Amino acid sequence: MNDLHWLTAAELAGAYAARKVSPVELVQSLLERIDALEPQLNAFIKLDRDAVLAQAKEAEREIRAGGQRGPLHGVPVGIKDIIDVAGQATTCHSKIYLQNIARADAEVVSRLRAAGAIPFGKLSLHEFAIGGPSFDLPFPPARNPWNRDHHPGGSSSGSGTALAAGFLPLALGTDTGGSIRNPAGNCGVVGLKPTYGLVSRRGVFPLAFTLDHIGPMARTVRDTALALDVLAGHDAADPGSAAISHGNFGADLERGVRGLRVGFVRHFHEQDVPAHPEVTAALEEAARQFTREGALVRDLQLPPLQELAGVSRIFMLAESWTVHAPWLRDRPGDYAETSRRKLMGGAFLGAGDYVHAQQRRLQLSDAVNAALRDVDVLLCANSLDPACRLDDDAELARTYPRQARSPFNLTGHPALALMCGLSTGGLPISLQIVGRMHDEVTVLRAGAAYERATDWHTRRPPLEKTGKAKRKPAAVS
Amino acid sequence: MTTKTVLKPDVDMLARAAGLDKALKQFPEDVALAAQSAASARSAAGELDQVAAEPWPPMQVRK
Repeated sequence: MNDLHWLTAAELAGAYAARKVSPVELVQSLLERIDALEPQLNAFIKLDRDAVLAQAKEAEREIRAGGQRGPLHGVPVGIKDIIDVAGQATTCHSKIYLQNIARADAEVVSRLRAAGAIPFGKLSLHEFAIGGPSFDLPFPPARNPWNRDHHPGGSSSGSGTALAAGFLPLALGTDTGGSIRNPAGNCGVVGLKPTYGLVSRRGVFPLAFTLDHIGPMARTVRDTALALDVLAGHDAADPGSAAISHGNFGADLERGVRGLRVGFVRHFHEQDVPAHPEVTAALEEAARQFTREGALVRDLQLPPLQELAGVSRIFMLAESWTVHAPWLRDRPGDYAETSRRKLMGGAFLGAGDYVHAQQRRLQLSDAVNAALRDVDVLLCANSLDPACRLDDDAELARTYPRQARSPFNLTGHPALALMCGLSTGGLPISLQIVGRMHDEVTVLRAGAAYERATDWHTRRPPLEKTGKAKRKPAAVS
Repeated sequence: MTTKTVLKPDVDMLARAAGLDKALKQFPEDVALAAQSAASARSAAGELDQVAAEPWPPMQVRK
């Protein structure tokens, strides 16, 4: 088979079962591609070639013996380096945690292993999942495969980069203010922030306890659903874990959206924080596409985006300060400048600010829940601008807060990011589909219908045209 | 502090109270920007329409 690196997890499962390709062949193919392209992209912090090949051999042996455990058996999954993998460093892309060796797997990694998936390297991120693309850290920032001079989004930067580059079919991200959906959007892939509590946070370094989510990133909606089937589930060791059972998240992927009620949150990007014209045009076209597919699309009003984002920021600042205060006091110079500036903000908030934010959170969540009683899903913007240059600090500072993601960290609703356009500069544009609490099935249904009706998910970045690098990436051992 | 403008003496005092003496000495601009960021988030958070609104989550006893 050609182009093994572009096969989806679902396609791999079928190919493994039919013995058209083996996990070892796939992993070898991915390693070759990574060798060629990683020096241009910096997606990985660490990749142990021998370990992933050994796991591929084991998966191959089990599958050939008739023991295929499920659709992720033998499928590589990249792990954001803020998630523990036993025996490996969880650096959080920071000088502070270079020697932080994990004693046990995070719950999500345990679940992936049980499903037969291959944890495939530690992926780069923004420092502690809050900084930005920084050049004053022990590892370089990941770059956008669509244009290496541009920001791949963050904080799960390496996850987005690796998927768009064809290094991996699946990756894990974390999302506290949009850190799955931003790189998914900037890199033109799919990212799901599940309902708060659906996926365990155990073994993931916290950023803001009440906003933190872990979720799958992939190149298709179907793969996102397959990964969520494995990742979701109650974990008594995570105090925020939801004690609910769940079934097959991909149950309605083929159902289409005829009759589905879609609330278009146009005021986010038209009035509240006016989007780049190309983003606005792509969202309008997406709304028309849903209508053509038979959905009932109408405008819908939520609280102002600035207010939702402002309250979310109070939690981000206060809770991350609680985690980082000891290090910020003793070794502020060990943080990247961007991270330091963001993490110290909580020192200037008071107890009253936090309680006020808790009061506002209840009101705002109620408002979003009320809106979702009249429609089945929301359609809204993701980033309000195409990705800017990685080295343009002023533009990064201007565009980074211009997003519609953090409202759903505040409220906990599931939110799916997927590509809906390309800017004239050749950079992906993305939308969000947001659903009711624990209704990922409908969110994924709507995403799959949009994906079927468009060809954005088949677009690939022009990486091959940039030529192959000659040196082997230092992170690959 | 409810306005968007943050005065340097206030920032310095709050930073020291938070134990950020080292950061204040080495990275005063970063400390000032962090304070500005907090003030900005506070002013964006909006007002309550009822002062007695219950915070979320309500107190619950552990079993």
